[in-house]
Amino acid sequence: MTKSYDFDVLVIGAGPGGYHAAIRAAQLGLKTACAERESVGGVCLNVGCIPTKALLHAGDIRAEARHASDFGLQLAEQRMDIAKLNGWKDGIVKKLTGGVSGLFKANKVTHLIGNASFVDDHTVQVGDKTYTAASIIIATGSEPARLPGLDVDQQGIVDSTGALVMPDPVPARMLCVGGGVIGFEFAHIYNNMGSQVKVIEFLPTIIPGADADAVKAFQKSMEKQGIKVAVQTKANRAEKKQDGIHVELENVKTGEKSVEVFDRVLVAVGRRPRTDGLNPEKAGVTVTERGFVPADSKQRTNVPHIYSIGDVASNPMLAHKAMKEGLVAAEVIAGKPAEQDAVAIPGVVYTNPELAWVGLTEQEAKDKGYEVKIGNFPFAASGRAMTLQQTDGFVKMVVEKDTDLVLGVHIVGPRASDILSEASLALEMGATATDIALTIHAHPTLGEAMLEGAESAHKQAIHIVNR
Amino acid sequence: GRTIVPAAPSVRRLAREMQVDIHAVHGTGIAGRISEEDVRRTAGTPSVA
Repeated sequence: MTKSYDFDVLVIGAGPGGYHAAIRAAQLGLKTACAERESVGGVCLNVGCIPTKALLHAGDIRAEARHASDFGLQLAEQRMDIAKLNGWKDGIVKKLTGGVSGLFKANKVTHLIGNASFVDDHTVQVGDKTYTAASIIIATGSEPARLPGLDVDQQGIVDSTGALVMPDPVPARMLCVGGGVIGFEFAHIYNNMGSQVKVIEFLPTIIPGADADAVKAFQKSMEKQGIKVAVQTKANRAEKKQDGIHVELENVKTGEKSVEVFDRVLVAVGRRPRTDGLNPEKAGVTVTERGFVPADSKQRTNVPHIYSIGDVASNPMLAHKAMKEGLVAAEVIAGKPAEQDAVAIPGVVYTNPELAWVGLTEQEAKDKGYEVKIGNFPFAASGRAMTLQQTDGFVKMVVEKDTDLVLGVHIVGPRASDILSEASLALEMGATATDIALTIHAHPTLGEAMLEGAESAHKQAIHIVNR
Repeated sequence: GRTIVPAAPSVRRLAREMQVDIHAVHGTGIAGRISEEDVRRTAGTPSVA
């Protein structure tokens, strides 16, 4: 007897992972539903990647406009209409979430609205109705981690969601607790909008996971723009007073304490997987102590017909990783030979300059036993970068000494995120530095720095003296 | 130890389709790169599943 279900696939969550899974499943002829309690598009579209990048762009234009006098453009005194800024950002979000809804309709994905909760391993309650499905994909995402002593009220003390609403007036003094990607993107936004910004990081280095040389150059550039950075520092508690938020900071190395006053405090100390109300135990699905629903390379949980993708499955919590895993889960369900077998997952900090990397850092390569040679090309030697008034940073290429295989690429510089795609392809294709060096790159472009970085690994770069 | 398998994503997918363990394939290309042909040859070898 073949049991019949309401759906072939039920996806829980309509974030980047969830909507990719749902659309691909539908494309492959599966009867698909996607349950979402909030707006489609998830954190990325609504309160993450997209609105942050909108604010970053606005801030960058403001900063660039200040330097336009170098080439004779005299702009009148800058005035920022904060309401208009927030409205413009919200409009982009609305357009994109509307786009996802439209794609659901076009692909005949049933959109179920409400909280989803497992009843058993084939049944999910969404709102007050229950639905059955042959396969279920968990894509419930993550939420900001909290910090004791700093109670987020989304007014003075905010998490990343609260920080997306630019206050009017812009806060004079801003503290970012957490020197990771989110902390620095908001530091950059607020700094460009006129705030005096300080970033504190508990660890000895900012942007954990990135290459040491790249981090050093990145930090130098942020500090040059006026952002203060303090590592090995934590925030113990915050108290709201008449003149601002009094935060007790502690140097974790020396134990030295001080109180500093801010008008806005961002808590960006990481994110945690979100499974509240899901009741995965009713389906027999394993959840780790830290709240992750782990999956294998085919995105299967311990229950063979239940899958887990994106932030809730594993680190790194990145939209493009979730998207890939969503496609893999849908294709595996449809019987395709899919697998999450990416050589490397790119990481980006969308400041200016951007910090972007893919593959192994120099240290990681050495730790794994690779003998490496390093290519390095500074944007100060790039004609294109000069015409953009953005010459901070470099392309650093980590290459295996004997085989010439590209192991990792680390970029600090303008549009590093876009340049990086070539590096990602190189890693996936098993390209050598020679392959990149022999590829004609358009001139003048920022992407040429990849070519010269590869040439530099062979000590044959043209626009710098090779040492 | 070393982790990167120098095979294009499409070649890795072909290996899965042919139920060949990509790690067991000897790459004959530059820098040990694995070609479609390398995968097909391995699939035809009875000793490699």
